Amino acid sequence: MHKSGRGHRDKVQQFMAITGSSEKAAIQALKASDWHLEGAFDVFYSQPHIRTVTDSRHLEELYNRYKDPYVDMILVDGITLLCNDLQVDPQDIVMLVISWHMKAATMCEFSRQEFIGGLQFLGIDTTEKFRDKLSYMRSELKDEQKFREIYNFAFGWAKEKGQKSLALDTAIGMWQLLFAERHWPLVDHWCQFLQVRHNKAISRDTWSQLLEFAKTVDLQLSNYDEEGAWPYLIDEFVEYLTENGIVQSHQN
Amino acid sequence: MSAQKKRNFKIEAFKHRVDLDPKYAEKTWKVLEHAIHEIYNHNASGLSFEELYRNAYNMVLHKHGEKLYSGLVTTMTWHLKEISQSIEAAQGDLFLEELNRKWGEHTKALQMIRDILMYMDRTFVTSSRKTPVYELGLNLWRDNIIRSSKIQDRQLNTILELIHKERTGEVINRGLMRNITKMLMNLGTSVYQEDFEKPFLDVSASFYSGESQQFIECCDCGEYLKKAERRLNEEMERVSQYLDAKTEPKITCVVEKEMIANHMKQLVHMENSGLVNMLVDDRYEDLSRMYNLFGRVTEGHRLIRDLMTSHLRETGKQLVTDPERLKDPVDFVQRLLDEKDKYDKIIATAFNNDKAFQNALNSSFEYFINLNSRSPEFISLYVNEKLHKNLKGVNEEDVEIVLDKVMMLFRYLQEKDIFEKYYKQHLAKRLLSGKTVSDDAERSLIVKLKTECGYQFTCKLEGMFTDMKTSQDTMQGFYASQGFEAGECPTLAVQVLTTGSWPTQSSAACNLPAEILGVCDKFRAYYLGTHSGRRLTWQTNMGTADLKATFANGQKHELNVSTYQMCVLLLFNSADRLSCKEIEQATVIPSQDLKRCLQSLACVRGKNVLRKDPMSKDIAEDDIFSVNDKFTSKFFKIKIGTVIAQKESEPEKQETRQQVEEDRKPQIEAAIIRVMKARRVADYNNIVMEVTKQLQLRFLPNPVVIKKRIESLIEREFLERDEGDRKLYRYLA
Repeated sequence: MHKSGRGHRDKVQQFMAITGSSEKAAIQALKASDWHLEGAFDVFYSQPHIRTVTDSRHLEELYNRYKDPYVDMILVDGITLLCNDLQVDPQDIVMLVISWHMKAATMCEFSRQEFIGGLQFLGIDTTEKFRDKLSYMRSELKDEQKFREIYNFAFGWAKEKGQKSLALDTAIGMWQLLFAERHWPLVDHWCQFLQVRHNKAISRDTWSQLLEFAKTVDLQLSNYDEEGAWPYLIDEFVEYLTENGIVQSHQN
Repeated sequence: MSAQKKRNFKIEAFKHRVDLDPKYAEKTWKVLEHAIHEIYNHNASGLSFEELYRNAYNMVLHKHGEKLYSGLVTTMTWHLKEISQSIEAAQGDLFLEELNRKWGEHTKALQMIRDILMYMDRTFVTSSRKTPVYELGLNLWRDNIIRSSKIQDRQLNTILELIHKERTGEVINRGLMRNITKMLMNLGTSVYQEDFEKPFLDVSASFYSGESQQFIECCDCGEYLKKAERRLNEEMERVSQYLDAKTEPKITCVVEKEMIANHMKQLVHMENSGLVNMLVDDRYEDLSRMYNLFGRVTEGHRLIRDLMTSHLRETGKQLVTDPERLKDPVDFVQRLLDEKDKYDKIIATAFNNDKAFQNALNSSFEYFINLNSRSPEFISLYVNEKLHKNLKGVNEEDVEIVLDKVMMLFRYLQEKDIFEKYYKQHLAKRLLSGKTVSDDAERSLIVKLKTECGYQFTCKLEGMFTDMKTSQDTMQGFYASQGFEAGECPTLAVQVLTTGSWPTQSSAACNLPAEILGVCDKFRAYYLGTHSGRRLTWQTNMGTADLKATFANGQKHELNVSTYQMCVLLLFNSADRLSCKEIEQATVIPSQDLKRCLQSLACVRGKNVLRKDPMSKDIAEDDIFSVNDKFTSKFFKIKIGTVIAQKESEPEKQETRQQVEEDRKPQIEAAIIRVMKARRVADYNNIVMEVTKQLQLRFLPNPVVIKKRIESLIEREFLERDEGDRKLYRYLA
């Protein structure tokens, strides 16, 4: 037990206020960063298993604020309100990240468990804390592994309940959103191709394999392998690109 | 001289010593030398063998073998030199004869000398490792005569010239030749080879090289081959007549190379007379000759086979893509069968049933039959024609033969499932119209198909036959149970078809005429009485009816019509004139079918039992129909029904193909599941390979379709992608 000087105590208080963590966790983080606040934040946030204790009363309050009057769920109106409070656009991709953390089953609604459980995990029990977390959540999209998880999560989340496949329009919308974060130059051609040639729902396999395709195959398709077990839609897309001269064909 | 009196024999030791006469050896030798001379001078008769033998024996015994031996060499050599001169002196043709004669004399002399000197041969020669007498004699002949500079070349040239003469048609003295070559052989294989065989082969090579060049410029393929064959036979005969047998393979090799191998390609491709012409004109003899001759040369058969294959593929391709041919499916198939027969005959007669050629034939047929996607349909139509009573109709034994041939074509099909679909349709029509030539023939074909493709292929077809039989029994039972008088109501013959066994046809039920409703309902009641839990639907687009018609002009006829036609005609029992629209309303027959039906009743000469107003060929809604009271026909029974199977129209064909494609999807999926169940994990290429193998007896699956099926199975959670390697698929139990 070190004797904390007055400067240190201040910092601990500050830290606790901002992150909502316990004193112990605050001291740990600050020590690890040599009593620099910014460093301590980094340390703290990069340790996801550090659960900050959230006040369950606050959480209830928050939930009730957004919950629908007739149903025990947060529906469209509630979400609009939430977005307002957070000062984000409802179309903002961070909403997707939030839903991912909450393991939400369907877009545009949160169950009680999803909402509260998610916020607990994130260590959020007030709107301010929520707002503060937003930039962190946006940064998660830059992580390869997390982006993939979020991308694949998006399929189940965006599709209609009870359907196996994702409606084409929704899929295109999601792709536009996601590939704005992680740039893929062919995304517009892909969407156009689908509308012209396919015009049907998208299967899960196609959805997930598309990300692999975007990640591994270069823009000139020079390393596209015909025998690469790509879904047939992607094979057709490659044909479409070569037919329309968007990409030079390769004689393999 | 032994004494006359008998004596006891006593063996005494040598009492007197033999004189070591220093001149003894010389004296003895002189005797022998003289003898040799005499032998060579044909004066052998005066010699005593026993004495000479004894002299030689004594010489050797007294250690004068060396003198004897070298004396022999000298003497013989001297004689040979004399002989050599006499041979050299011979003029022209006599040269060989002289050589031959002298050789004969020499060998005879040698024999005698050898006999005389046999003791030396056995003792002195062996111990001092000298050449035995006979062999010595041969070697001396070789060195002094054959290899003498004045004789060697002359001998060779003379022989070669004679052979050349014979090749150009002259007759030569073969006996003499035989003796000469025998002589060379006796002198040693290497003598024969160096002094005759090798130069002979070289000269022959250039002779045939020149001759083949000549022939190829002025002969056509068949003639050339005849000549080549003749030359080959000649050479073989030559060998058997006066050359050593070992020369045969060598000289035939020369001829084969010069006359055949060097000109193979040119011959086979010769315009107007090459292989292709021979095939087209069925020139069995020429083809057989070519096969035999080319067989002697490496790659000879391959050359023929490859050209035959490409020609066959080309002709076949033309056959199946010629638009004229496609108009008549039966003729189309007949031509294919004819082509197969033609080539079978060629391979059997001219190519010795060579398996490799059979295979080439099969692969060519497989190639071009599948170029036309309608081949399966046409083959089924062909079978239909052979098995349909009214058509060409063949007797039973012939049918069996034809069906076997058709099965051969069937084996070449890649899309056997399309054939199955059409075959089912056509068979259904044949069975239902009662027009099959023979039940046994039908069943026999089904057995053949089952042997080829397995039980699954034919179980439904067999179901159709069962239904026919069962229906007969049902009808019997029905009439037995009704026990009503004939003539009370129309006679009904029902065939009950099990759905699933018969080809699916959507049938919109039409209104049956009142005249038959009664008995139809009675039947329905009877049947459902004995088979509860079943549903019966009248297939009004498939039946037939026999109607008795009386026309206003007194003419009575019996009309054989389809069910639809019956519905239409019976309307006129209660109405004189009806519009097309009215008929449609009354009968509820679908308009396309109705149009065809009305056309067949009103627009066909000799069968126009109805009159149409206006008289045009097309049917319009407002056209008025009435009974044609002026109808006449010299036949009492008239057939108006349209039941015979025909080549499908374009839209029908598309529909059938679509159905087949749909049917294939579950089959592909089942195959994929089987493969994945066995392997657990597999990549795309392996799956395609295995699935193709599994389905090859029915059709060739499209790899893209296989991929789509895989993805469908992924969606339905039968399969998943491997987590580690996205190129692998995994079976989900």
